[in-house]
Amino acid sequence: MSAVLFSTWKDEFIDNRGKASEEWNESAFKLPEEYTADRRSKAFIGWDGVAIFQEDIDAVRLATEYAAQYQVYSEACGRCAPGRWGGRILYDLLDKIARGEGSQADVDHLKEVSETMMLTSKCEIGRTVPKPILDLMEHYKEQFDKAIDLQIPSKHYHKEINYIAKVTAPCTDVCPAHVDIPAYIEGVRDMDFSDSLAATRQTMPLAHTCGRVCPHPCEDACRRINLDEPISIMELKRLGADYETDHHLPWQHPEPPKALRNDGKKVAIIGAGPAGLTAAYYLALEGIKVDIFEELPVLGGEVAVGVPEYRMPVDKYNKDIELVTSMDAVDVYTNHRVDAERLQEIDAEYDATLLAFGTRLSKKVRAENERPDMDGYWGAIDMLDKVNLWTKYAIGSPASNELKDKVVVCVGGGFTSMDVVRCSIREGAKKVIMIYRRDEKTIIRNTTYEEYHEAVEEGVEFIFHSAVEKIYDENNQLKKLLVNKFELVPDPNGGRAQLVKIEDGDFEIECDYLIPAVSQAADLQLIPEAWNIEMTSWGTLLTNGRDYMTSRPGLFAAGDCEYGPMTIVNAVGQAKRAASVISRYIYSGNITLTDDEIMEDHLSKLKVYDKKEKITGWMPGIPRVVSEKLEVNERKDNNAEVNLGFTGEEALAEAERCMRCYYISMVAV
Amino acid sequence: MTARKSETKMITVTIDGKSCQAELGETILQIARANGIYIPTMCYLTKVEPIASCRMCVVNVEGVDGLILSCQEKATDGAVITTNNEEIFKQRQNIMKLYDVNHPLECGVCDKSGECDLQNKTMEFDVDQQSFTAREQSRPVENWGFISYDPALCIMCEKCVHVCNEVIGDEALAISVGGYNSTIINTKQDQDCSQCGECMAVCPVGALVSTDFKYSSNAWELEKIPASCSHCSAACQMYYEVKEGSIDNPQPKIYRATNNYEFSSLCGAGRFGFDFENREASRDPDAFSRALDAFRKAETISFSGTISNEEALILQKFKEKSGVKLICDEVRGYQRFAEAFSSVTGTTLYHGDLKKLSQSKGVVVLGTRINDDAPMVKYHLTMASKRHRARIAYMHPLEDAAIQNIITQFMKYEVGSEEGVAALLAKTLLEGKAVPDEIRAYLDDLDIGNLSAESNIGEEELDKLKKSLWKKSGFTLVAGADLYGHPQAENIARLLGLIEHYSEFDVMLIPPATNALGVSLICDLDDSATGYTVGYNTTGDYVLSALGDGDLDMPALNQQEGTFSSVDKRVVPTHVALPYHGYVLNDILNALGFKERYTIGYTGKLPREKGFSSVVFDALPDYYDITGEEHRGYLLKSTAVEKDGRLEAVAALPAYDGAVLYQCNEGAQFSAFTHKTEQLKSDSRLKGSAQFATVAKLKEGDSVKFVLQGVAYQRVFTIDTSLKGTVAINPTFDRGLSSASVSYYRFSQPKLEKMDSKDE
Repeated sequence: MSAVLFSTWKDEFIDNRGKASEEWNESAFKLPEEYTADRRSKAFIGWDGVAIFQEDIDAVRLATEYAAQYQVYSEACGRCAPGRWGGRILYDLLDKIARGEGSQADVDHLKEVSETMMLTSKCEIGRTVPKPILDLMEHYKEQFDKAIDLQIPSKHYHKEINYIAKVTAPCTDVCPAHVDIPAYIEGVRDMDFSDSLAATRQTMPLAHTCGRVCPHPCEDACRRINLDEPISIMELKRLGADYETDHHLPWQHPEPPKALRNDGKKVAIIGAGPAGLTAAYYLALEGIKVDIFEELPVLGGEVAVGVPEYRMPVDKYNKDIELVTSMDAVDVYTNHRVDAERLQEIDAEYDATLLAFGTRLSKKVRAENERPDMDGYWGAIDMLDKVNLWTKYAIGSPASNELKDKVVVCVGGGFTSMDVVRCSIREGAKKVIMIYRRDEKTIIRNTTYEEYHEAVEEGVEFIFHSAVEKIYDENNQLKKLLVNKFELVPDPNGGRAQLVKIEDGDFEIECDYLIPAVSQAADLQLIPEAWNIEMTSWGTLLTNGRDYMTSRPGLFAAGDCEYGPMTIVNAVGQAKRAASVISRYIYSGNITLTDDEIMEDHLSKLKVYDKKEKITGWMPGIPRVVSEKLEVNERKDNNAEVNLGFTGEEALAEAERCMRCYYISMVAV
Repeated sequence: MTARKSETKMITVTIDGKSCQAELGETILQIARANGIYIPTMCYLTKVEPIASCRMCVVNVEGVDGLILSCQEKATDGAVITTNNEEIFKQRQNIMKLYDVNHPLECGVCDKSGECDLQNKTMEFDVDQQSFTAREQSRPVENWGFISYDPALCIMCEKCVHVCNEVIGDEALAISVGGYNSTIINTKQDQDCSQCGECMAVCPVGALVSTDFKYSSNAWELEKIPASCSHCSAACQMYYEVKEGSIDNPQPKIYRATNNYEFSSLCGAGRFGFDFENREASRDPDAFSRALDAFRKAETISFSGTISNEEALILQKFKEKSGVKLICDEVRGYQRFAEAFSSVTGTTLYHGDLKKLSQSKGVVVLGTRINDDAPMVKYHLTMASKRHRARIAYMHPLEDAAIQNIITQFMKYEVGSEEGVAALLAKTLLEGKAVPDEIRAYLDDLDIGNLSAESNIGEEELDKLKKSLWKKSGFTLVAGADLYGHPQAENIARLLGLIEHYSEFDVMLIPPATNALGVSLICDLDDSATGYTVGYNTTGDYVLSALGDGDLDMPALNQQEGTFSSVDKRVVPTHVALPYHGYVLNDILNALGFKERYTIGYTGKLPREKGFSSVVFDALPDYYDITGEEHRGYLLKSTAVEKDGRLEAVAALPAYDGAVLYQCNEGAQFSAFTHKTEQLKSDSRLKGSAQFATVAKLKEGDSVKFVLQGVAYQRVFTIDTSLKGTVAINPTFDRGLSSASVSYYRFSQPKLEKMDSKDE
């Protein structure tokens, strides 16, 4: 996959030195051979080994610089004896050799210190830093020997070479918002909850929210899985946010916000959902003026009007929102619908515009006689708007007026459909049925085990392997559904099992409401046709997924309207990156990424989490802590938050399971 | 809510061949220590969560690759653990080599030398030379008031930061991260660091030392006298460290106070206010005979709550023999309060204690400025907040910025409205609980609207409080000294009694003086003095004083042996730290016909019917075991009393309009005894908000005089921007023997007379 001269990455050993380039063995990993399109990498060195791309390499200097970068990292650490002193000694000894003043005794000391660091350091970073250094000392021994024997500087010791380093962790890498998870967990462990919150807010302003309703992809890339069970990463995020809220403390920003620049530059954001709020926050931290335009009377986007109160209490979400709106640089305009004409005005007035309006059109279930104007046919987005505006903001009227004692059928399988059925229960529906094309296992994979399990407990009836074929109405009043039944037929060739309709399996359901919650689409009416904006094949705004600029210069897009209906954390991650790009674009007119962002993308490609890795140095068999939930009878007729969160001792026990899998990697360019 | 696994599961592990039983959830190190197996550590501090910075405690677990950190990792059933072998020793030795890199070789002058963990472990792991180096850095010594910090000696174990954050709650110390350049910083040197000195107590090396003690003695020259701190009712474990003075003045003196920091804590008063001994005393037979005369003709003996159980018993016995009246102003209000409380709960003692408090999920603090009144109780609140995410409602007329990070709800009530507040609390906390009909009727009849309006505690605040108690049990109500002198004290007590008896709340009634609990149990106190009065550490016609300013000298409590009854309902021993050459109370009573050679002869005779045990003084244990279990003295037993308490209607709430003074000793000041010590700062100004200044027509620096309960005060007024409202804080610690009479309500409205400069 990557052409390398030499590699010890993971368990591979490739040594193409002295071979003709056509005889080279390839590395199995996506190593960053090209740092950027116009800059080749000389070498890549990291937690799992070293890869060299060019013959003319100074291994002694490379090792020294890697130790130096660890020193730079540990400017942010120094929390254990082996890491604190060991790291310093590694660097001092390597530099001594590289200067041409080293001895073979120094090499022995290096090995001795390395061994102690690898066995006893607190974090993986301390445990893994020596590995590639030892690899270089072994396989490029002649360079070390030369510097020692002749007492001369290593060959590139005085040469200008760029060394670009990045610290990451498996969980941080897969988190779309790249949250510094080990740091916020360490804050909990240290009971320094302000520190924990500051760590989260470096890349994630919605700490209350993503401590509750994040699908936590990080927990699928937690190295603790390799030992026993993943850390309950998501819920530990709540502790910092709750501490600030419970004790009425001043806002804990990751760094003090810069003063408003007042230089005439300003950015417009369309939509005050997670993406819009996130971009606004990070631009405001930089002191850049931001105006947010929101169509709804309330802020928060789908998390406000889509996600129900029992999963995401609005007073907590409002705290996350207040964090953003409390910034001097941010102004918010609600009830402000942006149409194509208005967008053109904004585009002309502002130095950059970020579209973050989400996907708020419910897609159809594609049944016969499916007409959105039919009474009893109710799109999930509209239905959840009504429920949430009433329960959270007392706007409108209770949805129980419509749903009480009624039979409700929802077609879906994702989070939105779960919200629909569980809200219907809470609004007093007589019977609630979920129709899903695939099986139980898949619905759990698409949502969470808890979500499915709790819905079942609350009385939702799930009908799997089925789909609505036809809708019957009387005088435009929906009456019943014709449903097809399918079965999963395994592919004899070992491919993916096929859903095959069961003949004579059809059945009918008499019902009052059909709520389609299959997916949502972006409402693109606000994009002026004349702009000819490039779109994805699934009808969202196209960007390159790295800088989030659309085909129109100065017009950016992030969140669901860019990606399609996805998660909050995805919207946050995209918006954070977009804000960073915009913060430079409005001054330079150029689209650029920082070295940190370039490395972030390289590492994502390389993949940090290795599910086959064997974990050493930790006690296995310490179970994941599960927080207390309301019982079904305590929750199903009200909107009280279901998950009570961790007690203090539960949170500590869980935080102590975290192995702090920080890694440092470095590219020489 | 879903059933939780609450039963503890027992496991068996094998450590170094020894089979050990433990509870699931215990760490390997805890189990090893409980079983007498040694694992070396540099950063482990039992009373905080594992810090995990030193990595010395690594062990082998059979079947698990790599070294396992025993301080943090929990043992699993059947684990087979080896705590030491060649490989482990080598790694520990390497860590010690790292710790020793560039550590200054100044042991000869270092305060810590002789009790230094770095010294000890360097020897233990045979590190006799430095084989690798790192660049030396220059870092100056910092002065943090009572505490000096030398970053060059600091090994970054982080114990100080953890104790400051997790136990004390100041959140003053932090790690300035910087790899090899890492250092500890005091972020609140000037404001909220309460100067408790816990950081230097837990420091394993000489990095954090007492500014006063620095360079004054080698550790091994000092004799450690085990004691209980006599400044407040926490009666914390401590040691007075004593040695002979100089050649010129060979009198022994206390060089410093230390504590068993591994398991318990000490506040700044205990740690820095140790030199309050009565140095002047000698035996003057004439003075003694005048004292006997005074006792013979006394109608009343008045005394302070700063007294041992034994002396209290001596006075009680004298009363029984002679019919003299016993007055203890500091305690009488508390005694009446406690009796009224018991008349509802049916037991002599309250149920709450410090350990339960520190593990509480919900706490209500009522009627005490807790951070100043009872630091040790505040530390336990901190632990509840930090470790258990306790919801803590702080109910008081005065906000306290110093505890904002601990409390979750401040409920400000009007001065004087404590009875109404107690009624509202009882109503709120007993909602839905099974109570007898007559009590339900009483609660239902309360005029909530009126009580809310008068006390200023809104119903929505009470709802919020109720909601914040998100768990089903683990609640404590802490009540303090504001209540004991309230005109309606007894009804307040009965209302709190209801809460203790019929809800999941445990109540703690913080004793308002060092041994208020002991005195209230031992002495049959009278309400008012008559006739010729002998005062013991308080005013009178004839005065016995440990401050050295009375008619006859008495020993201070660091010159006495005896016991105190603590807020934790524990009878704890204290010992003689410094010799005393004068007479003691026991001498007087022996001369008047009692026959007990030593004061501590009374220890075993403390009244059993009041919950004391008959253990004699020399048999009292005084230690913490390796697991941190306290074995100091013994716990008082609660005994049954008749439940005849009848609730009264809530009296019309008195109005306190205009400027109000609150009697409160701030910081490390508690009494004339702390005031007397060398190091503790004595700020005796009257402190109020800008609003108070307006209402009282005072400005910064004005001198003002007023009379409180017959004691004349003259104070300089200063504006404290952390205060709000029209209540100012007036300290009493500097009033000598008059300091010890706070049985009256702590809020008052004396006439404030501004003094012209010529009056001063």
